[in-house]
Amino acid sequence: MTKDEEAKLMYGMIFSMKSFVTKVSPVDLREGYMSYATNKYCLNLYETPSKLKFVLNTDTHAQGIKELLHQLYTQVYVEYVVFNPLCPLNKPIESELFATKLDEVVKQSPAYASRPA
Amino acid sequence: MAEEAVFDFIHMEAVSYVFQGGEKVSEDEAVSKLEHMGFATGYRLVERLTRESGRYKDELDIMKYICKDLWVTVYKKQIDNLRTNHQGVYVLHDNRFRLLTHMANGKQYLQYAPRYLAFTCGLVRGCLANLGVTCVVTAEVTHLPACKFQIQVQRG
Repeated sequence: MTKDEEAKLMYGMIFSMKSFVTKVSPVDLREGYMSYATNKYCLNLYETPSKLKFVLNTDTHAQGIKELLHQLYTQVYVEYVVFNPLCPLNKPIESELFATKLDEVVKQSPAYASRPA
Repeated sequence: MAEEAVFDFIHMEAVSYVFQGGEKVSEDEAVSKLEHMGFATGYRLVERLTRESGRYKDELDIMKYICKDLWVTVYKKQIDNLRTNHQGVYVLHDNRFRLLTHMANGKQYLQYAPRYLAFTCGLVRGCLANLGVTCVVTAEVTHLPACKFQIQVQRG
């Protein structure tokens, strides 16, 4: 399926999951991080105070994704998209520098290093 | 850290404001408006910043002041390289110009880069004007985030 369709499907899933979780859970959604795991993959969601959603799909054994997503938000998104006057915030990101830095941060993370071969 | 962000964002908005007209506004008109804004800012800024220091010995001293003190005050770093032909032309190299570091690391967005240098050109021109040096300042960028500012002093 195309990227657009996949994005819409994902958004619908996240929206319903979030509303389900907030109704059922005895504690509040802690610091905007939520994840669910199936036996094939794990979907991690980080929601910023500005309602920006960062979604990362990993395998079931990945650890420390919350910190990774937070790091991606502060060190990559804010630095290279928010501060870039030529990146409109409501369109797909076209900055190559963003892509390079994103790659760097993910490759240096412990979750990437401990991935099964 | 947060204070730098305020100047960065205001500058970004000033650039997009000046280019707002779309097709009706020519690149040159918009860039010269930004340069003018920079000139007025620089003119008053240098008055405020050099309150305590004495007169500068000569033109080269003034240029060194721009490269060191002014750049550190506004962009939190010094100019990386100053060249001159001793006949009124000075070239200032900045290898990581702060307003361009977040945009790209190479050639992407190269055509838009001059817009973000216009204000700084005016700033330098304004500072020099109030220190008694009439000049023309232009900027050139071939590889983000490095850029060169060329100052041509008008004599006689």
